[in-house]
Amino acid sequence: MSTTVAPDKILKELAGLWVEEGKQGPSGVLRACTMTLVVIAEENDDAAALGETVAALMPEHPARTILVRLRAGHERALSERVYQQCWKPFGQRQQICCEQIELTASDAALGDLPSVLLPLIVADLPVILWCRSARLTEMPEFLEVAGLATKLVLDSASFGSATAAIRRIASSQQRGSGTADLAWTRLSRWREMLARVFENRVYLSRLHEVSTIQVTWGDGFESAGWYLAAWAQNALADAGVNAKSSVVHGSGTICIELSGGSFRAGLRREDDRLVVTVDELSNCTHLPQPTDYLLMREELGIQRRDPIFERTLSTAARLAVSSASE
Amino acid sequence: MPNDNPFQDPLRFERQAPECAVVIFGANGDLTKRKLIPALYRLAYDRRLAAGFAVIGTSRTPMSDDQFREKMREAVEKFSEDTKLDEEVWGAFARGLFYIAGDVKDPAMYKALGEKLAQVEKERHTGGNVLFYLSTQPSQYATISAGIGAAGIGKGSGWRRLVVEKPFGHDMASARELSDQLHQVFDESEVYRIDHYLGKETVQNILAFRFGNGIFEPLWNRRYVDHVQITGAESIGVEGRGAYYQEVGALDDMIQNHLLQVMATVAMEPSASFRATSVRDERSKLLRSIRPWKPEEILQNTVPGQYGPARIGGEDVPAFRQEPGVDPATQRDTYAALTLFCDNWRWAGVPFYIRTGKRLAKRVTEIAIQFKSAPLHLFNQDGGEGGLNLLILRIQPEEGISLKFLSKRPGSGMTLRPVSMDFNYGTSFGERSPSAYETLLLDAIIGDPTLYTRQDMVEASWAVVEPIQNVWRSVKFDFPNYASGSWGPAAADEMLARRGHEWRRP
Repeated sequence: MSTTVAPDKILKELAGLWVEEGKQGPSGVLRACTMTLVVIAEENDDAAALGETVAALMPEHPARTILVRLRAGHERALSERVYQQCWKPFGQRQQICCEQIELTASDAALGDLPSVLLPLIVADLPVILWCRSARLTEMPEFLEVAGLATKLVLDSASFGSATAAIRRIASSQQRGSGTADLAWTRLSRWREMLARVFENRVYLSRLHEVSTIQVTWGDGFESAGWYLAAWAQNALADAGVNAKSSVVHGSGTICIELSGGSFRAGLRREDDRLVVTVDELSNCTHLPQPTDYLLMREELGIQRRDPIFERTLSTAARLAVSSASE
Repeated sequence: MPNDNPFQDPLRFERQAPECAVVIFGANGDLTKRKLIPALYRLAYDRRLAAGFAVIGTSRTPMSDDQFREKMREAVEKFSEDTKLDEEVWGAFARGLFYIAGDVKDPAMYKALGEKLAQVEKERHTGGNVLFYLSTQPSQYATISAGIGAAGIGKGSGWRRLVVEKPFGHDMASARELSDQLHQVFDESEVYRIDHYLGKETVQNILAFRFGNGIFEPLWNRRYVDHVQITGAESIGVEGRGAYYQEVGALDDMIQNHLLQVMATVAMEPSASFRATSVRDERSKLLRSIRPWKPEEILQNTVPGQYGPARIGGEDVPAFRQEPGVDPATQRDTYAALTLFCDNWRWAGVPFYIRTGKRLAKRVTEIAIQFKSAPLHLFNQDGGEGGLNLLILRIQPEEGISLKFLSKRPGSGMTLRPVSMDFNYGTSFGERSPSAYETLLLDAIIGDPTLYTRQDMVEASWAVVEPIQNVWRSVKFDFPNYASGSWGPAAADEMLARRGHEWRRP
């Protein structure tokens, strides 16, 4: 394993790849790039699955992808590999290609990572950093790497402590960097279903009856539970309703119930189905767990600030802190 | 209590349609099978429709609900270009399909429709909302609207909307008359005049391109733009619709609605917001600023054409006059080219050349904005194109935007050649674009008329087209005047040459 990586050499290799690719056929090749996507993963993260996820994202969000694989240990090691990913849209002759760079960095070489990444970032386009390593976020070098990104994507569900993760993401948000949490992204379809309940004017007019938000989370869904409660609390506050939130550990995945007076609306997951209950009526919809591809597809589609998430994050951090101090 | 749903998150949630029943008149027709039902099915497939959704089809052909469902299933299988039929989704969608046979002139049909709507509202929870879609002969629009009104189903517990397909009249007087007849039952805000061109992603992208970017708008005026060419060309002939086309012609079929709307989108002023009223006000203002030609100016500034026979790719293709159902001596235009000017500060003196036709060299719809040349030519130029700067907004078949400019040719010496910088909509955004009908149907169900045509816009278009129509109908042209597979009559080239311009060959 080498110990140095020259960004100039990588850029030269990339340029060479385009020249070679252009010679392959009469229709030439189209370079597509709308962002730099930096993916940081541990060495034991499933490389094949991650590669497939990135490949699936490219047609919709073409990017220069820099995949950084972290190797734990004190030995200083840094290496690189450059390649392209190409596809032909259905019915078209021209190939579309995206650039991919793979870097391997040991813990001891992490300090060198920002200086390698910086020249590899495509000018004038957003930089999205998807950090799949909870371990890295606790290391001092992480702040410098994260500082390169216009948007940082984390997954608090993979952190040891959900409440600590929420607090850390909230403080990162307060520092001004755009941050996303895949634990929140997983809730989009849930939230959408709850929102649809209140598209019905009759139910909307009964919102003022709600006095309690009850969220129960199962293992692996704690941060999602805090987010769901915080989001519902904020939405109700916008409607002039002050409701009390209760977030408790239970079995299964996650469920939420808004109740008060004679009104009750709730969502709960049963296997691959989402059950929506309003008073005594319930409706069931097919909703498999979203894959990493679907989650990242949603996040890459949002490159501006997400005010609803930011507000939810801040409320969730407050709820989690006050719950811990009770 | 606020009326808005506080749980909505427009950044992440898809636009959802409220519960409603869609009533399609002409449900056994081509448009229903080719466009409407495949578009509605795709919306169901994408979970964009509410659970409380139903379609009631009606036409004269006797059919049961099940037979209608079977026909519509075949239509989805045949005409859904990029959506495979999913049994589960289709099953749920088909359960909401109903059919009533009847004549649109028969009051009993509307009575039966009223009863069916009540039944569907109860069983399918459609919330009392009804979207009427007129996919029939235009001559039946007024009859149907009156029938709906007389049966009392034009009003109800939920909203009512009426979608009408073009043509909106065949001249100014008939457009006004139709409008007056519709307004006897529906308010103008409930009338949705569909122009499927405006539903195309790339036509909407013109607005994004112009008003979402800061760099183009300063150039978008008479100071920098030399002229604009709008082309809506088809390579096919009338394809069995000879009798219809003989009544309508290229000018009314394409320019009066689609291409003038495209021109309005290209040339309108920025609207204060993206709300329907603001955008439509600006489009309407632009259409009203188009200078109608005086009768004596028309033959200098417009060119009608009709295709003759030719051999294309080893196949003999007939002249328009040889098509089935077409009068062998017809004077109807299958090609139309116009020079138009906008009398406003932004565009004064800039020619807008618009052309459309059947059996032209290729199928292409695009807008080419030709910028003025550099004031001084310092370099040798390959191709002698005189400092050509051209912005091309491609609408079909390959949606995208190209900018042509000059670049130094590699090697010694300063010889320049034109190069093209291309943005391809399909490759930069790999996700599927919704069809125009998906977009427009969803808009109508949601109640967003931004991409629909308003009565004042229809009248402004007729004010431009009607004088041309009158002169063309009073003159006997020497038709056919262009060969199938060509780029149209020589007179159209001469029309541009008089102003020192020439048509692009897209």
